Amino acid sequence: MAVVSVERLRKRYRRRDPWAVDGVTFELEPGQAFGLLGPNGSGKTSIVKMIAGLLRPDEGTVQLFGSDPGQPASRREMGFAPEDPDFPKFLRAGEVLDYFASLLGLDETDRKRRIPETLEFAGLDKERRHIRQFSKGMKQRLGIAQAILGRPKLLILDEPTADLDPLGRRDVRALIDRLKDSGVAILLNSHLLSEVELVCDTVAILAKGRVLKEGTMAEVVPEGRNLEDVFVELIQANTPQHDQLPSFITEQDKS
Amino acid sequence: MNGALAVARYTLLELSRRRILLVFFILGALGIVCLGVGLKILYSVASSQGSFSAPDVDPAAFNRFLELAFVNYVFSALGVFGLLIAFAIGMTAIYHDLESGAAVSIFAKPVSRFAFAAGKIGGAVTALVLIVGVLALETRFVMFLFGGGLEGSLTGEAAAVVANTMVVMLIVLALSTWMNNIVAAVVAFVYYNVITGVIAFVHSLADNGAINNNVVKTIFDVLYWLVPHELVSSAPGDLARAQIAMSPAQAGNSALAAIPQASGSGEIAWWAFVVVFFAGMVYYAIRRRQV
Repeated sequence: MAVVSVERLRKRYRRRDPWAVDGVTFELEPGQAFGLLGPNGSGKTSIVKMIAGLLRPDEGTVQLFGSDPGQPASRREMGFAPEDPDFPKFLRAGEVLDYFASLLGLDETDRKRRIPETLEFAGLDKERRHIRQFSKGMKQRLGIAQAILGRPKLLILDEPTADLDPLGRRDVRALIDRLKDSGVAILLNSHLLSEVELVCDTVAILAKGRVLKEGTMAEVVPEGRNLEDVFVELIQANTPQHDQLPSFITEQDKS
Repeated sequence: MNGALAVARYTLLELSRRRILLVFFILGALGIVCLGVGLKILYSVASSQGSFSAPDVDPAAFNRFLELAFVNYVFSALGVFGLLIAFAIGMTAIYHDLESGAAVSIFAKPVSRFAFAAGKIGGAVTALVLIVGVLALETRFVMFLFGGGLEGSLTGEAAAVVANTMVVMLIVLALSTWMNNIVAAVVAFVYYNVITGVIAFVHSLADNGAINNNVVKTIFDVLYWLVPHELVSSAPGDLARAQIAMSPAQAGNSALAAIPQASGSGEIAWWAFVVVFFAGMVYYAIRRRQV
């Protein structure tokens, strides 16, 4: 059984708006790392939010472990690290993890073991401040920490390294590799193409909510080229480009 | 069930650390103490100089009047600070989770929207009961400064304050899932304190025979059963009876008839319906919410 099955998915936020997601279909198998690529506004986050049960599709179906993601039980084995994560502002990192461990239904023994280890992995074990005093990078690390707390069989990472320093990025890459090896399916949304190339087996390139190209890394990136070249070429061919500089930038100083 | 308990527990913990709530609680606590001590000093000075009473008034009756006036003020203060705290809880308990994006991580967990709503409401109501309970306890201590003999009415008054402020809090909670929390508080204030207040006032006038137009009476009868009704404890009636007892000779039948009645079972049932209705609105808004 596929971990995630998405079929002819469509979503728009207002009736007059264009489709944010338009007829997307793909499947994700256990142990597979799937990369969703696309420029800003291409519908990547909308897709993962529909898979996580946070948004309702207008058309098409999403199956998470064979069930509707709107059912809480179907999300039991899913970990989701959102883009720009945030948490209740007046809690501490350990309290956030304890809160989420309770929502995951972890018992006392599991909580006592997993929470300190997860905090240590995220580099937040000595942090005593409230979340409202956290930097974006610290929140991002906590976002990844809460996503892995329940030992998920599917880990969804939406721009997981956007606010991380190089060491944090390396840790996330190592985490993805380890989880993949243990059979966890990974769904990765990222602008960092080099990162996607390193960790994903399969990719889908999106623009304006549609899949432009999908396949294994070898199918999408021909021999002798890299993912960035393919991505730029595809996007430029499918979306209008605005690469002209504003005129005032190139104006000569009159004084 | 476990999910709702976890949400309630951490909602309570977060509320306990919110500065706006702490400020309102401190204001309430200080306000009640200052009101009690201030009135005691003012009345003691005035009473000893006879500046409040006419020369022919019995000093014992005058002191009794002061005691009752104090009880009246201190009960009103409890209601006002309870309302402020209800607004503060209603504005923060759900709104910040939805607006900050914390709800994204929470809703992605295996917790139902019903459990989330139930936990949020449970945590908010617990916080309200605890804070108003502490202020009521403090009021009881402040009441030692004066007599009045109405200490027994405090429990009922505190319960009425909790019941009335709970409705306000639920209205703000429900509205703040749809709109900015400040706008939600303003809309709730206008709805509960202005519109509902006017409808209840005109309805009571009609009930007392002050309005004879049958159409107006019918309209306000209908409107009255479309808005929340403020529950009234036995305290206002006890106060009125105590004031009448000070000068039984002057108390006519009309004064006795005007003694406010404590809310009956019908009013309490309506209150319960309103609470369930607005709690349902909170759940509906959270269920529909896409984050």
